[in-house]
Amino acid sequence: MYGRKACQLVKELATGEKEQLTPFNSDQLDQVIAECSQHYSELQALIRNMQEKGLDVQTTKNEDHFGALVHHLSLVRNKRCLMSYLYKRAEILRNLIWKVGTMLPQEIQEKLSHFEEEYFKKHSASLKSYMSRIDLDLAVDMVPPKDPYIQVRVLDDIGEGIVLSDDKTANFTCHSMHFLKRTDAEQFISRVSSD
Amino acid sequence: MESGSGDGSTVPKMDDYESLISTTDVEHLKRVWRREKAAPEIFQFESALIGRIKEQIQLTEETVEEFVEAKTDPLTVSLYQMDLDRTQFLLRSYLRIRLQKIEKYMFHILKMDELFNRLSKEEKSFAERCCDDLKMHLEDCVLSRLPDNYQSILKQSIISEETDMVPKPQLDTFVVCKTKYYLGHIQLEDGDNGNPDDRGNQRHLEEPFEMEPNVLYFVRYKPIKKFVEEGKIDLY
Repeated sequence: MYGRKACQLVKELATGEKEQLTPFNSDQLDQVIAECSQHYSELQALIRNMQEKGLDVQTTKNEDHFGALVHHLSLVRNKRCLMSYLYKRAEILRNLIWKVGTMLPQEIQEKLSHFEEEYFKKHSASLKSYMSRIDLDLAVDMVPPKDPYIQVRVLDDIGEGIVLSDDKTANFTCHSMHFLKRTDAEQFISRVSSD
Repeated sequence: MESGSGDGSTVPKMDDYESLISTTDVEHLKRVWRREKAAPEIFQFESALIGRIKEQIQLTEETVEEFVEAKTDPLTVSLYQMDLDRTQFLLRSYLRIRLQKIEKYMFHILKMDELFNRLSKEEKSFAERCCDDLKMHLEDCVLSRLPDNYQSILKQSIISEETDMVPKPQLDTFVVCKTKYYLGHIQLEDGDNGNPDDRGNQRHLEEPFEMEPNVLYFVRYKPIKKFVEEGKIDLY
């Protein structure tokens, strides 16, 4: 049946968990694209057929015309599905930058296609260049501040001598507890999800 | 969003206080931020306001530093710091929401001059880069591999008369809003452009809609869009 493969591709998005990426299905994508080319050659064959019979392609409404129409509509539908698949995934990727930052964890990285990795890098760079132009880091202050200080426990060895905004340094060894300015702690929270 | 402001229980004494603080830039930013957050489309960038806010943030930062050096009472310092943090959050959140709107509707915004001109200089170049990147991504992955007449990123195929592949903000979504004025004669149904999207949902209200001051309403965004842009209606 025409359009079934493309539909499966979109269903993969719809049934998956919201904002969660599934592994890039390049097999299915290639098959749909092949189906598109198939439609196109059949469509052209039908139109050629009409031209050979000396019929006006624009106005004649014979079986060839409607056949071509079906191929055209299937092709357009496939295109819509393909684009939805890519577009939605690109959107999830962009949202990931806001949620986990520009360094993707390994398990997400594995689900991307080569082009998606490239896109992610480029988009991260665009965001970075915007932030440096307005001289403001938009990746901090993600939630409204309640208290200027928060208590954190370090989950990962981040390192010694990390300079805080009041020119003091802190030693973030694993499992140490700190009472920090929210703005100082936030960049580390999004990075390794310390608690 | 703000405590107590506006559930109809405001006492006269509060009014003076409210009108006093509603003139500050931070309060102005809060309104603008709330509007940007609640509305489906992007508004004019408030460059003058943002400029002033940035200056004020810097000023307060310096004040806090001076306090710290002068060993002022830590409580005073932390109050200033808290105020500063809130303003910074508003500013960052405002810019962030705008960026996310640009990300979401980039092709639409770039196509419509009216929308594109609402962006700040930096946002414009961001939007352009955004579009180029996504366009290239989609072209590399799929579009370049489709048959000739079907490669457009904006149209489904060469015979489409309009750009029918561009995601647009949903302007007929519902918003919560309130006004300080009495507004009469608001036409809730839009007969002017015959948008096919809301054919089924159109309620035929015979009488025009009226808005009383300080009452919360839940209406479609599109009919009140004009008032929101003029600042006569606030979104919540």
